[in-house]
Amino acid sequence: MPHNRGNGPLQSVLCQLTRRQLVYGVFGAGAVAAGSLGMPSAAGAADEINFWASGTLDVGDDGWKTIANDTRVKVDFTDNGNDPGPVVARLAAGNANDIYDVGGLQGGSEKELARRGLIVPWDLSQIPNYASLWQWAKDIPYLTYQGKTYGIPTVINADSIIALRDKVGQVDSYGIIFDPKLKGKTAMEDAWINSVIFTAIYLKNSENVQIAEPGNLTANELGVVMEFLIKHKRDGQFRTFWNGWEQGVQLIASQEVWVMTGWEPIVYAAQKRGADCYYAVPKEGYEGWSNNTILLKGAVNRGRTKAAHQLANALLSGFYGCKLGSTRGYVVPTDNNVAYAMAHSNTFDPARVRELAEHVKQKFAGKVYWQNTRPDNFQLYETWWQRLRNA
Amino acid sequence: MPDRTEAYESAGAGWRPAPFLLALPSLAVLVGLGFIPLALIATWSFWSFDFDTYWIKPAWSLASYAALLENGRATVFLRSAGLAALTATASTLLAVPAATAVGLLTGPRRAALLLALFTIPFFTSGLIRAFAWRLMLGRNGVINNALMSLGIVQAPVEWLLFSDFAVVLGMVAAFLPFAIIPIVLAFARIDHSVIRASQDLGAGFWTMLSTIVLPLVLPGIVAGFLFVFVVAIGTSMEVQLLGGAGASSISIMIDDVLRVANFPLAFAIATVVVTLLILLIIVAGRVLRPSRLFESLGI
Repeated sequence: MPHNRGNGPLQSVLCQLTRRQLVYGVFGAGAVAAGSLGMPSAAGAADEINFWASGTLDVGDDGWKTIANDTRVKVDFTDNGNDPGPVVARLAAGNANDIYDVGGLQGGSEKELARRGLIVPWDLSQIPNYASLWQWAKDIPYLTYQGKTYGIPTVINADSIIALRDKVGQVDSYGIIFDPKLKGKTAMEDAWINSVIFTAIYLKNSENVQIAEPGNLTANELGVVMEFLIKHKRDGQFRTFWNGWEQGVQLIASQEVWVMTGWEPIVYAAQKRGADCYYAVPKEGYEGWSNNTILLKGAVNRGRTKAAHQLANALLSGFYGCKLGSTRGYVVPTDNNVAYAMAHSNTFDPARVRELAEHVKQKFAGKVYWQNTRPDNFQLYETWWQRLRNA
Repeated sequence: MPDRTEAYESAGAGWRPAPFLLALPSLAVLVGLGFIPLALIATWSFWSFDFDTYWIKPAWSLASYAALLENGRATVFLRSAGLAALTATASTLLAVPAATAVGLLTGPRRAALLLALFTIPFFTSGLIRAFAWRLMLGRNGVINNALMSLGIVQAPVEWLLFSDFAVVLGMVAAFLPFAIIPIVLAFARIDHSVIRASQDLGAGFWTMLSTIVLPLVLPGIVAGFLFVFVVAIGTSMEVQLLGGAGASSISIMIDDVLRVANFPLAFAIATVVVTLLILLIIVAGRVLRPSRLFESLGI
């Protein structure tokens, strides 16, 4: 899943402040006074969009400038911290809709947000590039509510297992994480959003446990999965539960753990630090995830609907995919990326763009279970996670 | 020497604000930034989560407090308090000799230099500090490598990292200055003539330390212990980075429940922690009187 390198409270606060907000903070009183005197406000211009998404989806000033040149939509990007919990809470009970127009969120929360009228459906006729999305990306559950599209899959990938070749050989199953022979040498992420679904995928496919949808467990299914995790934790199977990019990389690079569930970019970072590690292809299937672009209700209230659609269209137009691929290794699920790279081969390497796209497509050619950040029993997930912590 | 009241009166100043008015700005800050938010949190902890609005509604309930006793949440309180107490004890034990060196054995210049050295941990972020311990304590870390090269152990010592030992070590290293500084302040208040008198009467170093110095610096020791305890019980960084698989602390638990928008439970946890800490400070204040640190300052 998209990840941020700094998760500290101060970093989190600072990275969520845009330059504009800082300027507003300093000159806020003046702005209010100007507004009351009837002076025109630049912030109200219709072609400006406050984009609130995972920090790793930021393409920087030059990237947004290119998009502004192409679309006349000026983007002011703010990192939302990536953790869906606080993002949903701030949309529901905070001021996010007063500030931001478009959001980028790990898939699963759309239904909750749509039901409460916090986000509004996209008008796909205003997003011509939507047609270019790969079909299986359009078919992701959670994107729609009552037949309307609320989430546009903008970044997509599938996660599995990171393994040290010289320690565990070739791995093809999540079973390795729970193998007693590797007691104290394995790890999972300290987040039920990912670790529960990985375990459910394993139990469903390799232990024949009756699980209908690993991304949305019933109370009984969740109990079975969590009891399994608790047993292995009590047995000392896990060295630790990792939290955040740098911790993940360090665990593998220092060989503190030999195998763990995790994000693919960790493999590349650990390899750069000399670790002989690889990303496994599990026979049980991948955990697929998508970061979806959502239209906040506030944008409609502020008359920015058209600009928001222009931005959503621009994110699928090819440039954004090329830029994100070259800077972060992430894939926007459309062939427009390759077409754009071919037309701009002096800026982007078409072969590299194609290779990245094929790599992700290949993952999705097999079994994939979609990550769901807001399963139906989401508060029960936390309760069980607490029991696991204390086991 | 006339006392301050007399001095003010003899100065013949015309209008003097009443003490209450002078205290008003501080009182406003205390109430506005301290008491009101805490009172709101305590009130909201009795409300209920509303699935329709994703916020809380004033449906009064004790459910959040009942939930504190389920799923091992009470254990998290006890574990956090236990680790904080261990950390505060270890920090205080280390701080006493360190503060003694600063307070008794060095001159003002060296004391300032030593104090500055003790504050070095604050120069970097807590995240980096805690992370550095992973590099030291890991299987292939500096300490295990040294132990193995010296032939002391044949295999890496596993419990050095991802254990309560690592958590306490990380917290002591991070919070030690909180214990040292009040004790140094307590040392600064000791009248050196008292020490000279004890030496004139034949007291050796240890007798002087145990019968004269330690009783006089006790308020500083108590204040140092409380400072470290309060900071340690609220930390999550060291527990998350150095603790075992899924290790929890009170702030990690609050984080977890906020992720699922269980606001009343988060507020209940916060209310209980704040109440217990206030009680602890009141009891410690009454019994051990750390306020003596400020007595001669006229506060």
